[in-house]
Amino acid sequence: MLLLPQAIVDGLLIGGIYITIAIGFSLAYGVMHIIDFAVGEWIMLGAFLGYYLNQWFGWEPFLFLPVIFLAFYIVGFSLQPLIHRVLSGRRGNPVLMGLVFTFGLALMFRGLALTGFGFFSRSISSALAEGSWFFQSGNFFVTIPVIRFAGLSYALAVTLGLHYLLKKTDFGLAVQALAQHKESAGLMGINAKRVSSHVYGLYVAISAMTGTIFGCIFSISAQMGPDLTVFAFFVVVLAGMGYLAGVPWAAFLLGFVQSFFLIYLSPAYTLLAVFAILYTILLISPTGLFRKGV
Amino acid sequence: MPRKVLLWAVVMTAVLAAVPLIVHDTFYLRVLTEAVMWIALAITWDVLAGYTGYLNFGHGAFFGLGAYTTAILMGHAGWPFPLAVAAGSVLAAVAAFVAGMPTLRLKGAYFAIATWALARAVQQVALILEITGGPDGMRLPPFLHPQFFYYAMLSVTAAVFFLLWYLLETAPFGLKLKAIRENEAGAMALGLNPARIKIQAFILSACPAGIIGGIYAYWITYIDPASTLGDLITDQAVVMAVFGGLGTLIGPVLGAIVLFAFKTYFWAYLSDYQVLYLIILGALIAFSVVFLPEGLWGSILSCTAKRPQLSKAFHPLETKKEAPEVPNA
Repeated sequence: MLLLPQAIVDGLLIGGIYITIAIGFSLAYGVMHIIDFAVGEWIMLGAFLGYYLNQWFGWEPFLFLPVIFLAFYIVGFSLQPLIHRVLSGRRGNPVLMGLVFTFGLALMFRGLALTGFGFFSRSISSALAEGSWFFQSGNFFVTIPVIRFAGLSYALAVTLGLHYLLKKTDFGLAVQALAQHKESAGLMGINAKRVSSHVYGLYVAISAMTGTIFGCIFSISAQMGPDLTVFAFFVVVLAGMGYLAGVPWAAFLLGFVQSFFLIYLSPAYTLLAVFAILYTILLISPTGLFRKGV
Repeated sequence: MPRKVLLWAVVMTAVLAAVPLIVHDTFYLRVLTEAVMWIALAITWDVLAGYTGYLNFGHGAFFGLGAYTTAILMGHAGWPFPLAVAAGSVLAAVAAFVAGMPTLRLKGAYFAIATWALARAVQQVALILEITGGPDGMRLPPFLHPQFFYYAMLSVTAAVFFLLWYLLETAPFGLKLKAIRENEAGAMALGLNPARIKIQAFILSACPAGIIGGIYAYWITYIDPASTLGDLITDQAVVMAVFGGLGTLIGPVLGAIVLFAFKTYFWAYLSDYQVLYLIILGALIAFSVVFLPEGLWGSILSCTAKRPQLSKAFHPLETKKEAPEVPNA
């Protein structure tokens, strides 16, 4: 019982990171209906860019976020035409072909990373990683590492920024229209290809930035992609595929599952629980906890 | 065309069956055994993915289930090999039935994610349980007889291939599956029962994978959750089927042969660059999805297919040419 406050706080802090792992993915699914198996690899690649920038310049990794955002935005933007080609092919089941395509991308990125960065794991050094806040009242006590708090703040900032972009700007309106009905949006003068490219770029950029934050808090390795893909799928399915407002709640739920298993049960059961919950939710309500998915 | 292909398949099987009489090198026999194994996994995956339109990203779980059942029954209970393999295949079929009932209601991407999650859950269970040896895996009594395993794999694969050929290419069952793939509601309107047919297809795809897994376990004599239940088994089967051509039986066979030959060559001669294999594999999938959406076999078919010839008596283009041109004002 004494550890309960710590478990809750840990869940919140870990869950914050999972928001940004999944929110871009959910956005891309909502607009383009693509299931991206490479989401974990984007995060991994972003983490390594952050790592090398940090090594070369020695500055605080948080300062590199705009650079990483820009670099991966361009990558995602220029990759999207290929995905568009796959998704609008004349062969049946374009969604599944998109799935297989990104699956190929994921394998390729993992291979490239293993070749370039090796198998061993490392972590990005940040000045924030050393401090932590300690609170105590009576028998209860809570420790909050500064770096994890910074991660949560980053996640909330990205979420709010995305909310602003989607709800208050013309671009956001175009994205919403595209997600609602592609053909009608086209008739209203929206360039579906261009907007999809921006959305994909945004998704890749957010995932890559998250990688750097992830690397400051935990450690990074070239093989970490699939595990992160698992978490992204979990959050997005629980939230309802393409339903952005559900993502934070599902992410916090995942954070709680992880912190409670870590503290009260064995960490060996965490992944099993994650898969079991994911599978059960898919069977009971494929459109997510809020039944708002597409 | 189908007759000719069937003839080729019979000839191929006969040639493969004769190989151990000529080749005595165990290395080549081992390579061939594994190639045959991948053919079986690719075609059984294609039953559900190519013919029915349901991407099963948990195919490796049935393979692993067969392998673990065989290993446990032989290692702990002392069952003879054929009985243990049979039990493994029955268990794989039962698992497909039980898991398929709820999972096959999901459509498209949801089905893909659900089967993938289920397979990873099975892997986690194998990592935790005592009887499976946890992360250390299990050892089986070694039986050093390469010819035996070659013939076991080959006979199972050939039997599966001809059974699937009969069911999918000549019997109405294949048409039913394709009807579900094209339009499930339409298939129901035609009086088909998609739920039942999909379950049948799922079992048809899972049961042989269980048998192959059982033979593999006894052949390799060592299995662990990472190699037997991991993503890699499913991944390779998917790649082979997609690269060869979904929705055909020859396509996955072709894809399995080409990719496995490539993989073996790579491991034998370029083993210093093992991760390069992942890069090339990934690039190959992405490339074939974008530029060869029909797969290798589909592209060969559409290249060699005879275009319909119009008779000279009726040729709309010719008559159009003869129409008088309108002079410019």
